[in-house]
Amino acid sequence: MLVSALGFAILGVAASAAAVDDTRTLGVERIVALIEASSDGETIQIPAGTYVGNLVIERSVVLEGRGEVVIDGGGEGTVVTILAPGVTLRGLHVRGSGAGVDREPAGIRAEVGPSIIEDNVLEDVLFGIDLRMASDSIVRRNRIVGMPLEAGRRGDGIRLWWSHDCVVSDNWLRGVRDLVLWYSERLTIERNDVADSRYGLHFMYSHETNVADNRLHQNSVGIYLMYSRRITLRGNSLRQNRGPSGYGAGLKDCDDILLEDNLFVANRVGVYLDNSPSSVDAVGRIANNQFVYNKVGMLVTPNTRRNVITENGFVENEEQVTVHGRGELSGNAFHELTEAGPRGNYWSDYPGFDLDGDGLGDLAYEPRYLFEDLLAREPNLRLFVHSPAQRAIEFTARALPELRPAPKFVDPDPLMSPPASRRVGPGPDRGNLGQVALGLALLGVSTAIGLGALRAAAPGTEVC
Amino acid sequence: MIELAIHRPGLEAPRAMTPALASSFTCVLAFARRELREALTSRWFVLYGLAFAALSVSVSYVSLASAGSEGLAGFGRTAAGLLNLIMLVVPLMALTAGAGSLAGERERGTLIYLVAQPVSRWEVLLGKFLGLAAAFVACLCGGFGLSALVLASRGAVGIDSFVMLVAATSLLALVMLALGFVISVFSRKSSVATGVALFTWLFLVLLSDLGLMAGSVLFKLRVQELFALSVLNPLQAFKLGVVQGLESSLDVLGPVGVYASQTWGERLPWLLFGVLCAWGMLAFAVAAFGFSRSSTA
Amino acid sequence: MITIRDLTKRFGRVCALSEVSFDVEAGEAVALWGGNGAGKTTLLRCLLGALRHGGSVEVDGLDARRQGKAVRARIGYVPQELAFHDDMRVGAALAFFARLRVESLGRAAEILARAGLAGHERKRVRDLSGGMKQRLALAVATLGDPPVVVMDEPTSNLDAAGRAQVVESLRELRRSGKTVLFSSHRPEEVRALADRVLVLDGGRLVRTATPDELWPSGDGGPRSTLHIPDSDRERALEVLAAAGIEVLDGVRDELAPGADQLARSGVCEAVRGDAQGAIQ
Repeated sequence: MLVSALGFAILGVAASAAAVDDTRTLGVERIVALIEASSDGETIQIPAGTYVGNLVIERSVVLEGRGEVVIDGGGEGTVVTILAPGVTLRGLHVRGSGAGVDREPAGIRAEVGPSIIEDNVLEDVLFGIDLRMASDSIVRRNRIVGMPLEAGRRGDGIRLWWSHDCVVSDNWLRGVRDLVLWYSERLTIERNDVADSRYGLHFMYSHETNVADNRLHQNSVGIYLMYSRRITLRGNSLRQNRGPSGYGAGLKDCDDILLEDNLFVANRVGVYLDNSPSSVDAVGRIANNQFVYNKVGMLVTPNTRRNVITENGFVENEEQVTVHGRGELSGNAFHELTEAGPRGNYWSDYPGFDLDGDGLGDLAYEPRYLFEDLLAREPNLRLFVHSPAQRAIEFTARALPELRPAPKFVDPDPLMSPPASRRVGPGPDRGNLGQVALGLALLGVSTAIGLGALRAAAPGTEVC
Repeated sequence: MIELAIHRPGLEAPRAMTPALASSFTCVLAFARRELREALTSRWFVLYGLAFAALSVSVSYVSLASAGSEGLAGFGRTAAGLLNLIMLVVPLMALTAGAGSLAGERERGTLIYLVAQPVSRWEVLLGKFLGLAAAFVACLCGGFGLSALVLASRGAVGIDSFVMLVAATSLLALVMLALGFVISVFSRKSSVATGVALFTWLFLVLLSDLGLMAGSVLFKLRVQELFALSVLNPLQAFKLGVVQGLESSLDVLGPVGVYASQTWGERLPWLLFGVLCAWGMLAFAVAAFGFSRSSTA
Repeated sequence: MITIRDLTKRFGRVCALSEVSFDVEAGEAVALWGGNGAGKTTLLRCLLGALRHGGSVEVDGLDARRQGKAVRARIGYVPQELAFHDDMRVGAALAFFARLRVESLGRAAEILARAGLAGHERKRVRDLSGGMKQRLALAVATLGDPPVVVMDEPTSNLDAAGRAQVVESLRELRRSGKTVLFSSHRPEEVRALADRVLVLDGGRLVRTATPDELWPSGDGGPRSTLHIPDSDRERALEVLAAAGIEVLDGVRDELAPGADQLARSGVCEAVRGDAQGAIQ
């Protein structure tokens, strides 16, 4: 929390330090006049300065701000509204929308497509970029910081509403509600970075979309797919999404979802499968993902079937795969027959061995954890996770096999080593000076106390 | 032949105090220093310190090593490992150290000599407590500091989480130390004191949780009852506090945690902090009361 | 200086002290005399405020229980044997007690030197001889210049040489005008130091007398019979002589029951223990 607050502060400083001349305060009428003086498709270089008011664009023009132009809504309504197709907004600094939720005031709203919105900075806006029935649009390289409201009262950082065939890429969002896609199909969502928000990516009835290489971290939920079909998630990094539900990726009643090469680290739940796939003829595929250090690697509602879960690495999740409530997972396959032979998943808690050296464990992976089983029956006991009592119970169960519960699923061909992740780069915060300094500071405290004690003895010995 | 000792004004009692308070301050400080020095030069304490450092470093290292070479480590996982270690080791160390403090001196016959000096009982107790507390903070900071360096090599330290963990652990150590003092005040022999301390440890660490689990299942305890009962255990209060600090809510702890987060909200950390402090202060008060009334020192 | 009225102390059913009353004037030296269990140690501990008791104990007009700290600031205490953290160095220990007793470190060093311990500051307490330990205890007791010194059999664990040194230090203390209250087993010590003797028996004060009244000169005190194996006879005579006990007769071994046990436990201990018991 501290770190993100610091991030905001730095961002704020950076933004105010941009080459914006706040002393020249003008009305947006100046821009409207420029637009009216231009012809369709013309590029307008807006003179540097701060323009106050709500700008409505009704002609197909390219507006360029080069980072020197601020459009300030003055705290009322939507700052920039696009009412003509073929508009491009580039390099603008947009701020000061209204804050009331009822009219959904935004930084930039396009009521018609196509439009291109790129390289803009939006701050102190309720909604960020809002595309309403603006198909074939491109939203890229924008930086959006939401209003400092409590999460429930914020607006969406980017929202697509009935806007098909759009590209949303390389945007940077902090402190917003969602990056949400409603009723929009055939989208490309790439390389966005969303943090400190509610849902990093939120799909509602949006189909046939590629979601690749996004970084979604420290949100309540990384990606939430709801009632959507044929979506490919590939190469996304989902870290530390730890809100009340806290899913890296949640799939609710979604069909034909492909999850490949994603990284799920330290989320409350890596992947949550809620009745997905929901149609009888649909399948789900979860392959070659890394589930590392999550509270629960994969959480599945009972009676979820027809998922193929293969060649994933389940590394040190507190619970690797578990059922929401009671039930089992036999309707899903935890291995797959490939040309190279059967392949299962890597399980860091696999106790077996590989005598024949084929890279597959000789015994099936059958997780039987008494405490997990108790938790499924008595959810209240979750209060005691991390307690030594939990260890004691598992230890007892290992010593007394008759206490061990039946496995919820079986992986007959567990991998002996985690599959190499193919697309995901290194994590965000690598070793840095601050962390070393912390270690040294602690050692310093320790040494200071020690030396203090020995020095305290000195007068006594110097009595001599 | 005789050199005057170096005069160090910083360690004298502040002038503004009344003479009685100043004298108490000097006595407490003298006992604290002696106790600290004694602890830091004693074999058992050095052993504790090394064991704690070795364990916490190895927990940190192992939790990183299993992450492979991609720097995947989140501090959460390491913290979970450290948390388990802390809950086992720190109470054991602090309870036995506290239990041994007075009982040991009483057995060696040194206690009567100390209380025959112009000091109050509470000054003796407080001084010894502060000295041991400082020794523990030093020991914990040492272990955590090394762990932080190990973790930093892979960029896995959440700085504010880590500081919170160190602070909470220190508080836990003080509370357990105070409980150890209670045991010590009421035990004639140090072997008895150690035995009682071990049992207390076993009870707090394991038996009370297991009992509560069984009770929760058998009597169908409601969430608020289960929460109230479990939070009475200082060790659980510590755990809940650390989880709260790491996750900023207790939702990960299931329905009871959700109940706690919703009912107490922002005040939850203060509640848990309060429970720990109450335990510590109550224990110290009981120890001081018992010590001031105990006839043979 | 010390006023004790109706001092009563029970440990459970056992009555360790019962209605003991006496006064000690400033500058007076008073010995407590009595067998084991007579209540000497209990009385001294009540004086130090270490025990809850009935009756009143006042030192310099202060109540020992309620104003314990102030009372203890006026009392220097010398235990039977200095029980202190053996690992501590002499200098550090002295500095520690100097701090408690509000004494400057320079003066503490002086006191240490006067106790004949200069040059031993860096030794650990455990490495001191018994006599040195007692002199250290005496030095600690005089830190802060208390008007009263209380001693619980200060010489009983010492050999003859150590005892002589300590008695000499005590004489000096006495000359410096301190009020001294001490318990002892040794008539010659009492004779050397005390103005007055309080005889305790079973927790009661049974008699107050001068040493001369208790032991008319020439009479070395009560007699005792020792059973010693012949083989240890020479050694026993030596020990007794060294302890300043006059041996009246040659001792004949009668192999009384228990005599061999005494012999096995070490003749010195046997002699000392038995002699003490018998003398009472």
